[in-house]
Amino acid sequence: MAGKNDLDSSKKSKAPPKMGFSDLAKREERLALRLLLPALLIILLIAFYPLAQVFYTSFTDRVFASGEETNFIGFDNYRRLLSVHVTELEPVLDETTGQQLTDPDSGEKVFERPLDILPREPVRYRELNQFNLFGKRYVIGATDTNFIESVQNTLTFTVISVFIELVLGLVIALVVNSKFRFRGSMRAAMLVPWAVITVVSARMWEWMLAPSRIGMFNALFDRLGIIESPIAFLASGGYQLSALIAVDVWKTTPFMALLILAGLQIMPEDIFEAAEIDGAGKIRQFFMITLPLLKPAIAVALIFRTLDALRVFDIFQVMLGQSTYSMASYNYFQLIGNRNMGLASAIGVIIFILIFVFAVSYIRMLGVDEE
Amino acid sequence: MKKGAGIFNLIKRIAFNLMIIFILVYLLFPFYWAVNSSLKTESQLFMTPATAVPRDPVTLEFSPTFQNYTTVLQDGQFLRGLANSTIVATSTTVLALVAGSFAAFALGKLRFRGRKPALYLILAMTMFPQVTVLTGLYAVITALGLSARISMIFSYMIFTLPFTTWVLTAFFKELPDALMESAQVDGATPFQTFRRILLPLTAPALVTTGLLAFIAAWNEYLFALTFTSIDPAARTVPVAIAYFTGAVARQEPFGEIMAAATLVTVPLVVLVLIFQRRIVAGLTAGAVKG
Repeated sequence: MAGKNDLDSSKKSKAPPKMGFSDLAKREERLALRLLLPALLIILLIAFYPLAQVFYTSFTDRVFASGEETNFIGFDNYRRLLSVHVTELEPVLDETTGQQLTDPDSGEKVFERPLDILPREPVRYRELNQFNLFGKRYVIGATDTNFIESVQNTLTFTVISVFIELVLGLVIALVVNSKFRFRGSMRAAMLVPWAVITVVSARMWEWMLAPSRIGMFNALFDRLGIIESPIAFLASGGYQLSALIAVDVWKTTPFMALLILAGLQIMPEDIFEAAEIDGAGKIRQFFMITLPLLKPAIAVALIFRTLDALRVFDIFQVMLGQSTYSMASYNYFQLIGNRNMGLASAIGVIIFILIFVFAVSYIRMLGVDEE
Repeated sequence: MKKGAGIFNLIKRIAFNLMIIFILVYLLFPFYWAVNSSLKTESQLFMTPATAVPRDPVTLEFSPTFQNYTTVLQDGQFLRGLANSTIVATSTTVLALVAGSFAAFALGKLRFRGRKPALYLILAMTMFPQVTVLTGLYAVITALGLSARISMIFSYMIFTLPFTTWVLTAFFKELPDALMESAQVDGATPFQTFRRILLPLTAPALVTTGLLAFIAAWNEYLFALTFTSIDPAARTVPVAIAYFTGAVARQEPFGEIMAAATLVTVPLVVLVLIFQRRIVAGLTAGAVKG
């Protein structure tokens, strides 16, 4: 709000002589509303009802595609999704010696079984994870471990893939922005990964990552002698997330690169000429001029990439099926598989809130909405 | 001294070219693999180890097949899908660019109350996963009685409009205010300023945004699948491909899917190559000399 006053005074100075200040401000305001009208109408027409419905349904037990009566159940869906319980696991003692028992097979110390001590009421808690702190063993339980895991998966996926995409996208954009002969073709080639239909691209990668030598990667690694036996990249465990991150980075780096490239292209060249004359080196120019001027382009690219990554659905659904969920693919499973529309809507709202937090922090950090 | 600089430049050029080759291989290799797979028969696809070009399983001679392509092209669904996708993605892009650039002009260059709420409202529209809004959207579309193609165009606004608006707002804001002021002094109406100054100066951003939005609409699957369920004639390419059935029952026609992917991607990229210069040139034509 502080900006408003000096804004107004600056407006006064640019107003044509005969026009009063408030007159001009009003005209500008009216023009702005007229310009925003189409976008706002579209939002009202197409987005308002579905979004309002999601919020409302998230507080009910509505069943998808059925005539069953819907009840208002307050925060129950949210409670079921988000309830987490941490509790200490007592060591199991040998009755005669009073020492903690060790497992004869693995040699590990024995603790209580998490299932015995995690709460069962009102909903049963399942084990999510165990950890050690100050020599004590704790267990984390959750009422919906699948959902909590899907949040962890999605966040890990988002942070790593968006970061790699930003770095790669920046490098590619800088390379393509320098003048060379095949620059136009290069820019078109850059579109290829983004242009391959997402669902098809997921199938393509699934094929390339096949767990035997019919897959490109296993055939290649085998030829190079890197691996002893084929790797099951997409099987539960180790490589799943890394494989999906690699696929996503390939597919969407062009998005990042093209937006950054557009930012580079509208930069006025005389700034660089001036810097050249001032004797600033290339690296100095990059950090002092290019990067700050690129900030708005990078910011919007980051916002939309992060938003997309947090909603990631296609590649999890196609490549991992039901073995590992992202938030959105768990959402899909609850809606279509379990027909639990109330719960699915609550997942949607949680995703919305998470995305909102990310978006606002980017906007604040990068100063996008500053005047 | 001079000779040293020459060698240094040579190394720099080689390094630069290596970099370009590396980037190209990284971006294009998976697509090459799709093309490669599209030229293989069922039995060639399942050869171990996988071959980098289609080879005869016995003699290992180079032997591509075009069977997948003929099958795909004879499939009426696929060609109709191409037409549908073109109509839907083009309309989506035009609508998102027009509404988005108007809104972005207001949000990026005009002063008015409610600017920030409007920005956030537009972004909030795209913060839900598609699955979540699907049922509500379906209800809206049924209530309004929209056809499948029109429903797709409007529902794609959910992810394209916030994108075009935000990107263009960011780019418009970067342009110096002095440009607009001098146009105003010259007696230009705000709309003329927008058309003659803002649009040409941000032409590369406009084209890029349009392209990215076009492809996002082109690739969309879930909405298209839902809204065309009652009108199969309106199916877009991704849905048509999903409905491919193999010659052998229950076996997925992987070669055909890859052939379809190739047939869809290559023309798209060639069109981009042809058009990008023209669009930029066309937009820049009316620009004022800074």
